[in-house]
Order: sequence, then C-alpha cells, then structure tokens
Amino acid sequence: MARRFGLLYWLGVLLVAAWGLVQLAPILWMISTSLKPLNRIFALPIQWIPHPPQWGNYPEAWNQFPFARYFANSFIVSLSATVLNVFLAGLAGYSLSKYRYFGQRALFIAILSTLMLPIEVLMVPTFLIVKALGWLNTYQGLIIPTVADAFGVFLMRQFMLGLPDSLVEAARIDGAGELGTYFRIVVPLIWPAVLTLAIFTWRETWDAFVWPYIIISEDTLRTVPIGLQRFQEQYVTTYNSVMAISTIAMVPLVLLFFFFQRAFIRGIALSGLKE
Amino acid sequence: MPAKARAAGRARPWLRSAEARHQAWGYLFLAPMFLLLVVFKFIPMLQAFYLSLTSYDLLSPPRFVGLRNYATLLGDPLFHQSVGVTAYYVFGTCVLIWFVSLGMALIFNAPLPAKNLLRTIYFIPAIVPVVVYAIIWLFLFHPYGLLNVALHAFGVPAVQWLSDTRAVLPGFILSSLWRFAPYFMIIYLAGLQSIPLEYYEAAAIDGAAGAQAFRCVTLPLLRPTILLVVVVSIILMSKVFTNVLIITGGGPAGATRVLSLFIYQTGFQYFKMGLASAASIFLLFGTMTFTLLQLRLFREDARG
Repeated sequence: MARRFGLLYWLGVLLVAAWGLVQLAPILWMISTSLKPLNRIFALPIQWIPHPPQWGNYPEAWNQFPFARYFANSFIVSLSATVLNVFLAGLAGYSLSKYRYFGQRALFIAILSTLMLPIEVLMVPTFLIVKALGWLNTYQGLIIPTVADAFGVFLMRQFMLGLPDSLVEAARIDGAGELGTYFRIVVPLIWPAVLTLAIFTWRETWDAFVWPYIIISEDTLRTVPIGLQRFQEQYVTTYNSVMAISTIAMVPLVLLFFFFQRAFIRGIALSGLKE
Repeated sequence: MPAKARAAGRARPWLRSAEARHQAWGYLFLAPMFLLLVVFKFIPMLQAFYLSLTSYDLLSPPRFVGLRNYATLLGDPLFHQSVGVTAYYVFGTCVLIWFVSLGMALIFNAPLPAKNLLRTIYFIPAIVPVVVYAIIWLFLFHPYGLLNVALHAFGVPAVQWLSDTRAVLPGFILSSLWRFAPYFMIIYLAGLQSIPLEYYEAAAIDGAAGAQAFRCVTLPLLRPTILLVVVVSIILMSKVFTNVLIITGGGPAGATRVLSLFIYQTGFQYFKMGLASAASIFLLFGTMTFTLLQLRLFREDARG
C-alpha cells in the first residue's frame, strides 16, 4: 500500500486530517471555554487547554437551573415517543406490506404525503388542536403529536416488503395468531430496521426544539433543549457557564452516536426519505 | 370489498370469512398510526387553510375575512423581506452543500488510513444537539470570537457577524454548511458505495482514470443520489428555525427573519393566527413542490 502512494498522497491525507481538526475547532473551543475563568475567555493567543482548568464552572452552571429535571423530562418524552412510534409504525408497516385490503394503496399514499407537513409549517393549527385537547403543558402534549410521524411507517414497510410472504403465511397456518406472527416471526427478522428507527426517533425527540418551545411554559415540564435555550437567554455573557451546560447537553447524543454508530449512520442515509 | 376478493369468496365460501378476517386485521394494525396522522397532520393542514381565511387572536372566535390575509401578506414589506431572506439562506447554503459534501464523500470513498476515525471526526458537527449548535455559533460570531480570530490570522479585518446586515446571512450559511455538509456526505457515500467496482475497472481498461472516470462513471451513476441531495437539502433548509431564533431572533432589522420565524412571531408573539396560517400556506406550497419532486424521483429510482 505504502509503495503505491507517493508523497502527494500523504500530503493529501494530512490535509484531510487538518481540515477535520478545523471542523472540530468550534466544539473544542466550546469545551475549552467551559473550563476558563470569565476574565480569560477572549484572551489571546487562545488557550486551548486552560491552565488550570476551572472544573467548578460545571456544578455552578448545573445548579442555576433544575437541569436534572430537564434531563428526566427529556428522557421520559424520548423514551415514550420512541417506544410508541416504533410500535405503531411497525404495525402500520406490517399492515401495509403483509396484508391485502381495499384502499391500501390510497392509504399508503395519504400516509406518505404527511411527510411534507413538518411542524414548522403547521405550528399554529397543531398548537390549537393540542390546546383544544387540554394538553398544553402536559407530557402527552409533548409525546403524542411527536409519535404521529410517517417516516417509520415508510421505513418498516420497505423492510417488511423484503420478507417472503410465505414465511408469514406459514406462521399463520401454524396458528401463531396475527400479533404472535408479527412479534415472534417478523420483528426478529427486521431487527436492524427496528433499531435504526428507534435510534433515529430517539435522536429526533431528544433534540426536538420547536414543538416543546411552543407548548411548554411550565418550568417543571421543560426538556433539555428548552432549558438550555432559557439558560443561554438568561446568562448571555456568562460564556463559561453557558458552554459548560452546552457541553453537558452534548454528551447524550454523542454517546448515542458512539454506541450505535452503525444504526445511527444507516438512519441518516435512509432519512433522505424523510427530511 | 374489491371485486377480486368477492369473486374468490363466491367460488370458495370458506375463504370468504378468512379473507374478511385478514382484511380486518390489516385495517386494525394500520388504524392507530393512521388516526394519529389524521389528528396531528391532516386536520391541522385543513385547519391551516381555514384559519388563513379568518382573523383570529385566540381570545374571540375566528372571524371569516376571505382572502384579506393573503392580500395583507402580499403588501407587507416584512413578508417580502422574509421570503427573500429564506430564498437567500436556503439556496446559498444548499449550493455550497451540494459541492462540499460531494467532495467530502469522494475523499472518504478513496483509500485512506484511519478512515473510520477520520469519518467520525468529520461527522461530529452533525450530531451536536441543535441548541448547542446555535449556542456555539452565537459564540463564534462574537466580535472577539474564533471566526474573527481566524480572519485576523489571515490579515482580514474583523467582521460584525451579528450586527452587519450584509454579513449576517453569509455567517449563517457558513454555520449551516458546517452542520449539514457531514449529513449529506453520508447520503452521498451511500450512493458512491452502491456503484459496482467493475465499472471503474472497465473504465480503467478503456484508459479512463481520475477525472475522466469521475465524469464518465461516477457522475452518471450518482445522478439519483445527487438529485436526492438537492431536493432533501432544500426541504431541510427551508424549515430552519431554532438556530435563527437563538442566534439573532430574526435581526438585525429582519435580515435573518426566515419564513418559519415570521410564522412563529406573527402567530405566537402578535397573536395573529390567521395571518400566520396564510404565511404557513406559502411555506407549505414551497416545501410541497420539492417533496413531490422528491417522491417522484424515488419512484423512478425504485423502478430502476
């Protein structure tokens, strides 16, 4: 390998690595700022590794706002929305791929068409509906409208179409029952798709901003993104605290990425279908 | 019941009930998700149309005003500005993304040492939470921030990223490029990796290598992916909201007030739900055009 590539190649590799570092610089700057005292933040030349690191910025920022509560809320909302979405989207995809009934195609197209109705476009009427349901400032208000997302239906249907019909029919003939067939035969076979959808939905709900921003005004119900935005608003110039909280807020998604890199990347490669 | 099923039922009576049961289960499994989509997607869409024809401030019931909201929008310089800002932001970002992310994908499709590590590093900007992304860039745009420090190193005078109306959108475009280029790099990579290696070998035998192989093999075979990236990036960018809200709130002087922010402010700050809905309809038609285009491309793609 080394003989095939000359000096130019290695220079190119070096350039690629250097550019990667440049792309990473904003994040590194955030982390380094989170460890600086307030009066050294814009000091030049930039001190990338603060000396000594001011670890106290972290507990100090954390204790300003009820962040433990925000994390718990985000966890509750993401978990419920993910479980519900994967479950219902899986059933709907199963129905659309392994059953035959009148109006199936029209229903599928109708479901698909909701992909062009993002919350940014429908924020006013969706807000009014949730208000009419009495769900402003509630968990169900945060969770249920988020579950109504057709991407999973589409994804599950595509994967289930790849399963041979004979497999499903054999299970039915064996008397596995409709739900039994689904859970014991279909789900284990499309497990990678289930995981992909779960990771994708978790990430979307964990990171959701617009919807909770519109319907939540009670502090006890705020999720991490909203809490973070409020914190930033209140402590605009206390950069080290804002950066400390931002760094903490980044950790869950980064961990999710590193643990489920494959499913994560696949979800993104497939999400071209969604966004 | 469709004619075919009915005929089958007549021919073999025992099948009739089994067929009916099969259909019933099919509907039952689809029903919960479909119901949710009706309540939180279809009804809101219809309601947006209805509200756009009314005057509604949340306090007194909606009052029908015909097309007046649309007329108001068409005569509103702030709305014109918002449409212009959105178009500038969306297309400015997308055109850059199309080329930069393709370049990144081509790099990672080539033999590289420590490829996985490098790709992960390149990908990190896309996994930062959206609010953190906004906060980081708000900080970068600071007059003494990293961007100006970097410019200074190259002898370029400091730019007022947040208060100069001419600099603020280019700054946002740069930030979106940083965040979304890795995302589209992944989509391009999936496309590049689906091109069979034999094609390149055949091209090499015919004496095509490097730039020529790229033009004659990669580009034509990547066409579906390129179209996908073009459409998806436009849809994705046309609904940006969070970073604008946090970084500038639409300022200075409306220079970054994109349509989604216009809708939010009109509806939830000025409580003009009717006017906000009319603006939503404009944005809806914009995204709908591109989504339909996308679905069409997909169908062609699926047919092969």
